[in-house]
Amino acid sequence: MSTDPHRPHRDSPSSEGYTSVDEDWTQLRTLLLSPEQTQLDELRDRLDNREVQPRDVSRVLPEAFAVRGERDPQLSTVLTPYVENGFVATIRKSPRAIVDAIAPIMGPAIRQAIARALQGMTQSFNHSLDESLSVRGLRWRLEAWRTGRPFAEVVLLHTLRYRVEQVFLIHRETGLLLHHVAAEGAVVQDQQVLSGMLTAIQSYVRDSFGASPDQTLDHFRVGEWTVWIEQGSHAYLAGVVRGTPPETLREDFQAALDDIHAQQPDALTHFNGDAAPFKTTRTSLENCLHAHYEPPPRPSALKLWILGGAMILLLSWWGVMAYQTHARWSNLLVELGTEPGMVVTVAKSTLTGYHLEGLRDPLAKDPSAMVVEAGLEPSSIKAVWSPYYSLDPQLVETRAHSMLHAPTTVKLSVEGDTLVATGSASIEWARETRRLATLVPGISLYRDEALVTTSIPDLLERVNRTVVRFRSGSSIVEPSERATLGAVSIALRELDQAVSQSGQRVRLEVLGSTDDTGPVTRNIQLGKERARAVLVALGGEQLGEATAVIAGLGQSTNQRGSTGEARDRRIVTLRATLTIANRGNEAARP
Amino acid sequence: MMQKKVCMLGGFAVGKTSLVRRFVSNVFSDHYHTTIGVTVEKKSVTVDDRDIMLVLWDLYGEDEFQRVRDSYLRGSSGYILVMDGTRKATLDTALALQQTALRTVGTVPFISIINKADVRSEWEIDERTIEQLRAQGWTVLFGSAKLGQGVEELFVALATQLVHAAPIP
Repeated sequence: MSTDPHRPHRDSPSSEGYTSVDEDWTQLRTLLLSPEQTQLDELRDRLDNREVQPRDVSRVLPEAFAVRGERDPQLSTVLTPYVENGFVATIRKSPRAIVDAIAPIMGPAIRQAIARALQGMTQSFNHSLDESLSVRGLRWRLEAWRTGRPFAEVVLLHTLRYRVEQVFLIHRETGLLLHHVAAEGAVVQDQQVLSGMLTAIQSYVRDSFGASPDQTLDHFRVGEWTVWIEQGSHAYLAGVVRGTPPETLREDFQAALDDIHAQQPDALTHFNGDAAPFKTTRTSLENCLHAHYEPPPRPSALKLWILGGAMILLLSWWGVMAYQTHARWSNLLVELGTEPGMVVTVAKSTLTGYHLEGLRDPLAKDPSAMVVEAGLEPSSIKAVWSPYYSLDPQLVETRAHSMLHAPTTVKLSVEGDTLVATGSASIEWARETRRLATLVPGISLYRDEALVTTSIPDLLERVNRTVVRFRSGSSIVEPSERATLGAVSIALRELDQAVSQSGQRVRLEVLGSTDDTGPVTRNIQLGKERARAVLVALGGEQLGEATAVIAGLGQSTNQRGSTGEARDRRIVTLRATLTIANRGNEAARP
Repeated sequence: MMQKKVCMLGGFAVGKTSLVRRFVSNVFSDHYHTTIGVTVEKKSVTVDDRDIMLVLWDLYGEDEFQRVRDSYLRGSSGYILVMDGTRKATLDTALALQQTALRTVGTVPFISIINKADVRSEWEIDERTIEQLRAQGWTVLFGSAKLGQGVEELFVALATQLVHAAPIP
């Protein structure tokens, strides 16, 4: 039924048929029901117009959000994209407003993060600096080079007492990771998978030993790492610690865990796999990332003084030794420079000693002997000498003596490029030398006008005509006889050198005899003694290649030069003959 | 990202690990299977444009020598039952494991997959049996570890059920 008082009634008759009763009735109804009629009209409008009016919604919106948000998370899911889009649009449109809004929060957060990073870096730097010059520092540097790790890391590892490298916050029932923090430089594996395995290991250990649910795995150790586990009612905390942590660290872990349980009771109780609410636990977990390092030992002042003194002494000793060695080396170079037959072309010091290069005449002095004379260690000098002929007069003379086999009775001297021979020699040697002298390096001319030459037969004759006389009963060579023997001795040497070139040797018989006074046996003995005395006077040991034989003839009258008188029979005569050289040397026999 | 713990259950040598190995992120060696009886792996899937991380507890196959530890099942949001189509006995094991799971974690979503779909002709588990399982409310998928078939669908199907069982905020 229509309640509109302004509209005609559908069942009413036409206007012509209106009666006064009807009008009265209508008027009465209007008077009585007017307020209710207005309300009824409004309700009718609402029913007819099904669309929700914003004004109506605005009245219930906050309460509706609260009621639906408590019931399930659907509201958040629906609104999230719109909020995100709106946020992005706002940032694009007016970023300044956003910056102003978050600056008070971000400023301190950034400062804290930078301070933490700087602190870690400074700590690492300080440790590296402290250890860089010590002995163990050098050892660690070697280790760093060997293993390819940074030096700072090696220092930290060695001075480290303990460091909490990672902290896991894990949901106890599901084993799912709620949050994870790690120290700088720590090796981090897949945290979600690791959380699951940590939980599985705890279950395994508990099941294996029949432990009750409240008995849990507290810690386990792997190499230098220890994993500490602190249990909470809904979550547990696992800290990976390198080194040996103090027991007080466990209290810090437990405090952090209690704090997290107090902050997130609902999120822990109704955990359904969404770890987002636990991002706020980061600070609590980071507070567990303790590290403690061993302070580097400070060497005492006395040790430093002793070490410094020893170093100075060592350096002084080394300096003196080096100076002395260098001075000796310089002296050696001077000696080598003035030594005939030696030319130094390269002389330098090396890491291991000295190096010498040069030319050396084979007749020059032995350089090794000179090194020893200079006071240097022969092994410290490496010398390379190339042979050459020196034209130094002294060496030319030596070379001439050597090549020409000059007898000792000849004196050779060099005058410019001329070789001069003086003294006496056999004709044969003189002849041969005239032919060969100019072949000696450094000799162009040869002169021997001052050389006295004799032939081998003359020399033999000079020796064989010698008669040495003795007093009666004496075997002492008289001074008057010594002049004779001196001349014989020279003749013998000349003879010896002359025949040696022709492959022959001188055989000298020294024959001693006596007069007929005294017994025969005594006279034989006396004869021998006289022969020996003459041989000694001739310089028997210096006769070179000559072979000397002595004999005592006793009262012989057959001695050459004997005239039959007694004084003529107290004599020693010489008989030199030539033999073939290869018959061997015969020692003088009585 | 939302995380869900999911257990993989099945008889001895039904191919659980082989089935999923190339689809999951693996850190630990299989050696843990025979030592502590479980290896944890993870797999990310996308459901309704949202990423879900399935933390898979791959439990050592149950046999007469080693039984699945109930403690490993606790806290699971769902589980996967793996059978070998060529061995009917693995179906019985799966049925027993499902009962164990039901006792331990209650009514949570689960999916079953019958391995060795590449050799259907050799199967001992027949269609009628499969239909009976489906009639009991089981989701039965077919897969092949050899060909790598059916695995992605398996994870997506389970993740979808997990999402619907507990709406993601």
